[in-house]
Amino acid sequence: MTPASALDVGRLRPYEISNRAPLWWGQVILCAIEGSMFCILIAIYFYLRLRVDVWPPRGARLPDAAIASWALAPLILSMAGSYMASEAAKKDSRGGMIFGLAANLLLAGVFLVLRYLDWRGLNFNWASDAHGTVVWTILFLHTFDVVADLLMTLVLMIIIASGRYGPKQRLGVHVDSVVWYFLVAIWLPLYAVIVWAPRILGGGQ
Amino acid sequence: MSVSTEWRTHVAGEEGERHELERAWSERGGIAGWFSVTTHQAIGKRYIITAFIFLLLGGIEALLMRLQLARPDNGVLGPEKYNQIFTMHGTTMMFLFAVPMMEGMGVYLVPLMLGTRNVVFPRLNAFGYWMYLAGGLLLYGAAFSNTMPAAGWFSYTPLSGPQYSAGKGVDVWAQMITFTEISAMCVAAELIVTIFRLRAPGMSLARIPLFCWSMLIQSFMVIFAMPAVMLASTVLLLNDRTIGTHFVNPAEGGDPLLYQHIFWFFGHPEVYIIFIPALGMVSSLIEAHARRGVFGYPAVVLSMVANGFIAFGLWVHHMFATGLPQIAEAYFTAASMMIGITSAVQIFCWIATLWTGRLRLSAALHFVFGFIFIFVLGGMTGIMLASIPLDLQVHDTFFVVAHFHYVLIGGALFPLFGAFHHWFPKFTGRMIDERIGKVTFWILFTGFNLTFFPMHVLGLHGMARRIYTYPAEMGWGPANLLATIGAFTIALGGIIFMINVVRSMRAGAPASEDPWEAGTLEWAASSPPQNYNFVHLPVVGARYPLWADAAERAVVTGMRSDRREVLVTSGMEAEPEHRLVLPRSTPWPFLAALGFTIGLVGSVFSFSWYFISAALGAIGLIGWFWPHQPVEIDP
Repeated sequence: MTPASALDVGRLRPYEISNRAPLWWGQVILCAIEGSMFCILIAIYFYLRLRVDVWPPRGARLPDAAIASWALAPLILSMAGSYMASEAAKKDSRGGMIFGLAANLLLAGVFLVLRYLDWRGLNFNWASDAHGTVVWTILFLHTFDVVADLLMTLVLMIIIASGRYGPKQRLGVHVDSVVWYFLVAIWLPLYAVIVWAPRILGGGQ
Repeated sequence: MSVSTEWRTHVAGEEGERHELERAWSERGGIAGWFSVTTHQAIGKRYIITAFIFLLLGGIEALLMRLQLARPDNGVLGPEKYNQIFTMHGTTMMFLFAVPMMEGMGVYLVPLMLGTRNVVFPRLNAFGYWMYLAGGLLLYGAAFSNTMPAAGWFSYTPLSGPQYSAGKGVDVWAQMITFTEISAMCVAAELIVTIFRLRAPGMSLARIPLFCWSMLIQSFMVIFAMPAVMLASTVLLLNDRTIGTHFVNPAEGGDPLLYQHIFWFFGHPEVYIIFIPALGMVSSLIEAHARRGVFGYPAVVLSMVANGFIAFGLWVHHMFATGLPQIAEAYFTAASMMIGITSAVQIFCWIATLWTGRLRLSAALHFVFGFIFIFVLGGMTGIMLASIPLDLQVHDTFFVVAHFHYVLIGGALFPLFGAFHHWFPKFTGRMIDERIGKVTFWILFTGFNLTFFPMHVLGLHGMARRIYTYPAEMGWGPANLLATIGAFTIALGGIIFMINVVRSMRAGAPASEDPWEAGTLEWAASSPPQNYNFVHLPVVGARYPLWADAAERAVVTGMRSDRREVLVTSGMEAEPEHRLVLPRSTPWPFLAALGFTIGLVGSVFSFSWYFISAALGAIGLIGWFWPHQPVEIDP
């Protein structure tokens, strides 16, 4: 018996390294999950702020605006590194991928050093009061995510440098850039909230 | 000749391909193989069986509570034990039974219904299951070591805070949430991408089976709701308890109500996360047993989507008694009543489908009728409770207990039992005994109403929920005794159901591929399905492919059958885009879950264990992602 009709897909590629790949969609969903979490954290920040007259509490030293703002420069530039790596992944340029990932790691490393300096300057901690709690939570969760993604980026770079990789690993490099764009982008509102909101908006009720 | 046989046998050279597929999709044997499984049928079944065991545990806890309340001044359970048991009951039913059960049904059925071979992220699927199992074992492991939470399934602060809930019970509860939510998010992510990208060619959005629509909507709700409960339980509650943060500590600027807001921002959508897949099941069951497509398919889909959105605007109706500003409460009353509209649209569509269909009065359809009856009653009391003056009167009474059991058991458990009877032949390859199925239904239906209807009356007479006993003078004895008799009737129904399952698995009549002559693609696979589901992936030309003309049927050729290939299609029209090689089975998802588990269990005692969790989890993830040798450089 012959088929009514057959749809031959034999000529379609057995992989795809672009935003059409299902893994790319999966990473976007991961970002949506993380994004909802950070949005709720921002809501928690303002909820707590509205409950008190003085915010932050007298004597609390806020994150240093200069360091935090300068830190944005290497952070934003690091996206160029991951962009280069993801484009190189599409073209299967091993050198391009390694260069892009290394630039990403290096600039993100500079950012983390600046964050460390800024963080060290705080004179309150998570157990000081509600302000300390929410600022430390935002800093901790974002740093945790950044470090986790950089670790995975490092592992990818080692795999690519070893030369034993196929399209799956190239796709990994491509979608890794999505997570990095997200972690950079979500930091901008978080930075605005913990650094500028108390300075511009002043106290609570 | 049945439609599906035709679909499966009309390509030349099929035997060879079948042989290759069997090899490519086979799982290794032995213990290592068991921990490496990534096929969706196996993982789905594990979810379903595990969740059913938790249903039994939660049911036993319910019976203990009913025994205690059967007569005034009873002494079966003391106050402390009673608090622990009702906390375990609610927690088990919400987090360890209802959501994972729905996820398991989705994991099993969605790839079959879409005409593909597996979910798109099979290792993530396995990882999600192990995390769920670990969460359940954590809660019950602690319980059997005499460490039980006792602050209710939503663990309100300050009752659940360090001052009033000493010991580790609440900490275990909070971290169990993390496990189950990670699991739900894994399933949500993989189902969304599977539904958007792995559909059979030709299955445009308007041809997606309604159960898949329901899982899609549910998955999006999981994505946006579950982060809230992880923050509430792990960050707000657990950190306040273990490292002295001040989210909910009013002395240092925190606020206990903040916990309620964040919890219910998840908690209300949670109800719909449980109940929307059940709506999808009801639609599938009605279509198959009324032998026609659902009346008003676009209206049903849009109502479910609307339900999903509105569910995020209702959370404050759980907090009417907390003294929030009245203008805010008025908004939430209106939103809560609005959900009645979208639910009613679906009910009317189903009634129209049943009315105009050719009914087969199967056991599954009995459960659908039971669902409509019970759920409509629960919906009615829901609209009553949306009104603030009435809510304030009956808040925290048995009226509320009656209401949510009507919507949750009526809205989720009855459809689920219908679904068990409906898909049993697909799961097991044998027919379930219909006669006993109908007896099960009548016993469960009677038992349910006997248990929960009197609770409306008890609540109106002022019986508060979560009290461990009451004096005889209150006059609540007879209604409580009735409820207890009803609870044991439900248990009897459950036992008969289990006997029926075991008996039918052993000696039921062998099932053909499509015993109900239903229209969706899961019935084109063999019963039970092979690991690869279809020898040739189907091409779809209609919303109900198995009811379409033979001339419209086609299959996909040109896929390689010597490795685990699936076809990726476009999101809207499902046009073929590229092929995708799914990863091999591996124990790494299990090992990664084990690593996270060790750390997360430790975090109940000390925050520093989060770093151990991260380190062990990272090792697991690196093993998971490490290229399998030899690498397919140029596939």
